[in-house]
Amino acid sequence: MSTVLSSSTLNKERVGRQITSSIAMTVILVTFSMLFASLLLGFTVFRITSEVWPPMGFERVDLFLPTISTIVIALSSFTFWKYERLFLIENSEKKLWLGFTTLLGLSFMVTQMLLWRDLHTKGIYVQDGIFPSIIFSFTWTHAAHVVVAWLLLFYLVPTLKEDVSVESLENRVFNIGKFWHFLGVVWLIMYITIFLF
Amino acid sequence: MAFYEQHIHDAPKTFLSKYIFSYDHKVIGKQFLWYGILFLGIGGMMALMIRWTLAFPGQPFPVIGNFLFPSTGGVVPPDTYAMLFTMHGTIMIFYAITPILIGAFGNYLIPLMIGARDMAFPLLNLLSFHVAVLSGVLLLAGLFTPLGAAAGGWTSYPTLSTLIGSPGVGQTLWTLAIFVLGISSTMGAINYITTIITLRAPGMGYFDMPLSVWGLGLTAILNAIFLPVLGAGCLLLVFDRVFGTAFFLAGAAATSGTGDPILFQHVFWIFGHPEVYILILPAWGIVSDLLSFFARKPAFGAKATALSMTTITILSTVVYGHHMYTTQMSPLLTQSFMTLTMTISIPSAIFFANWLGTIWKGSIRFHSPMLFSLGVVFVFGLGGLTGLYLATVTTDLYLHDTYFVVGHFHYTMAASVLLGGFAATYFWMPKMFGTMMNEFWAKVHFWITMIGLNGIFMGMMVVGYAGMHRRLYNPFVYEFMERMMPINTFITWSAIIMGLSQIIFVINFVHAVFFKKEKAGDNPWEVGTLEWTIPSPSPHYNFKEIPIVKCGPHEFGNPNLTGERDFQYQTEELA
Ligand code: HEM
Ligand SMILES: [Cu+2]
Repeated sequence: MSTVLSSSTLNKERVGRQITSSIAMTVILVTFSMLFASLLLGFTVFRITSEVWPPMGFERVDLFLPTISTIVIALSSFTFWKYERLFLIENSEKKLWLGFTTLLGLSFMVTQMLLWRDLHTKGIYVQDGIFPSIIFSFTWTHAAHVVVAWLLLFYLVPTLKEDVSVESLENRVFNIGKFWHFLGVVWLIMYITIFLF
Repeated sequence: MAFYEQHIHDAPKTFLSKYIFSYDHKVIGKQFLWYGILFLGIGGMMALMIRWTLAFPGQPFPVIGNFLFPSTGGVVPPDTYAMLFTMHGTIMIFYAITPILIGAFGNYLIPLMIGARDMAFPLLNLLSFHVAVLSGVLLLAGLFTPLGAAAGGWTSYPTLSTLIGSPGVGQTLWTLAIFVLGISSTMGAINYITTIITLRAPGMGYFDMPLSVWGLGLTAILNAIFLPVLGAGCLLLVFDRVFGTAFFLAGAAATSGTGDPILFQHVFWIFGHPEVYILILPAWGIVSDLLSFFARKPAFGAKATALSMTTITILSTVVYGHHMYTTQMSPLLTQSFMTLTMTISIPSAIFFANWLGTIWKGSIRFHSPMLFSLGVVFVFGLGGLTGLYLATVTTDLYLHDTYFVVGHFHYTMAASVLLGGFAATYFWMPKMFGTMMNEFWAKVHFWITMIGLNGIFMGMMVVGYAGMHRRLYNPFVYEFMERMMPINTFITWSAIIMGLSQIIFVINFVHAVFFKKEKAGDNPWEVGTLEWTIPSPSPHYNFKEIPIVKCGPHEFGNPNLTGERDFQYQTEELA
């Protein structure tokens, strides 16, 4: 955003609206962080009060699918970043990168569904105890947010036109971008805490 | 300050766009006011049913009893009693006090007091009201489910709130309703915080904002940070109830791997303690302003008051453990939480002293908003002092879950917040609706409310200290409590009298809003904050020209003032 701010074409109004929307987005991200932080607090309690982890009768979740998810979501953050840059310099390749992001978002959801199916085929259901409760509930909650964020990507379609005004749509791009990257970070933390450890 | 200027849009013309789907913060504020008053009535009725049962066990509830509880001939049945105190607590906290102080006055006052034309995000604001309505519908729907509404207490502790403790749909609806309401309040918080930071009129620094705006802003910050914590707890509770997860189930109920009911308590109070400050901060702010306005003196130590409120806000995030002394917590933790809790007394004492400093030697005008504000000073003092007994581990072990707790929190949350809400309603009535409420009846309302309130809550503390346990359908089956029956009857009569006196308020309010011909002046209380520089009721889009702020909100008695005036508008500069 700093590159945008320093450009001399900016007037007070535009900077004002940018700051306003970024303050609002920051508040939103703080609230979502607190939601996920509370979930992780719950996990921490169970993890450190349990003598063995995973609890008796469970094996660790196979890391293969979660790792794929991690790679996919990391890539999607990169493609979104690329799209954002291109949008600001009014380059028509932006279409391509938003397209990639949308596809990667979809792939992430597919890998999540595969993960849930995999657990089911191994006979692990959400009702079976605290361990599957955590794995399923946390991934559901995160996935629900990804679905929302993915739908928000379509709200960016108007930014794909060649001669679109950057000024009128930049806040939309920045904010959806922040949310998108944020979900990537949350997933990474979940990957490390509930899958790796 | 004023990062950009909002455009003036045309005023809405149709009924729907004007009153139902309005983007105007003033209309949304009024919507929240009506919403809150409606729920205050419902919650108050439930309180009376609880009290009736305690004072006159086995006797049918008068007038509507037969209609509500036909199977028992009008007597409140035991399971319904649990539902009543649960719904009463929930409704009062989340559906009456929250919408009135935060929803109504937050929306109404923030833009007007900082010289803005509207909130930063009007559409979000509109949504926040309609989401709140949805939540209210979900909550009330619980009453009509086969097993009745939630009955696990407003804290919804597992295992009472799990499928085993309450199998009905009511508890699920309760949990969903609270989650949805959290979304609505978060939307509000986003708006409040952003608006206060970016839309203050030129010249208005943070310390030039009225203390009401300080209180509302700090509340919004707490809301944004801590509502999601409750949200997470509710989410996991819903998962437990609907999808069979085992977060809060322990032992036999969870077949393998085990959950932890106490975890919910932690999550609940990490939110719950800040929540009591969420409720009280707007009232504190409003009272701090009103005391100065009606004592015709600058608020004593206004900066220190603002900073004390901020300190309390910060401290309120690290004391939640004092609600859980009796849950097998490590003594190391209970000691730490006790110490932290006690530290809150320091900033509280500072700003309480500032309140007294404000009225000290003031030329006090005893109008109704001032009476209610003084009432807040009184009841909050009592509430705060009794809190010390509950913060101390040794005394809390005895007092926990007795009526002493109920008396204490009603003094702090119910009494002071309620009186603060009334003070605000009487005070901003002319700006909101263009008419004044009748002063005589306002004062009658004040005195009956004040006497009734103290009869109720002082009585509760007395019986609690004597060992009367809360949430019992018929405590008098215990021999040692039999002798407390007369005091309980006294409490109930106080409640009935106080309840009836609210009718005075409702009639006064409805009359002033709909039937009163005589219009109020632009500045009937002679106060200098920005909202009193524009006509009453405030016009669409508030300020034609964005004001330029020259001084603080409580400038009284400047010797350079001309004429009869003893106050100075915030837009005026006097040497
Ligand atoms: C002024 C009229 C009121 C009366 C007579 C009244 C009376 C009562 C009674 C008798 C109980 C049940 C105590 C028990 O046995 O557990 C109760 C609980 C409660 N009240 Fe009130 N109340 C009033 C106003 C309020 C207000 C304005 C609030 C909002 C802050 C409030 C919040 C609560 C809460 C949170 C509970 C706890 C419910 C539970 O145990 O789950 N009350 N009240
Ligand atoms: Cu507390």
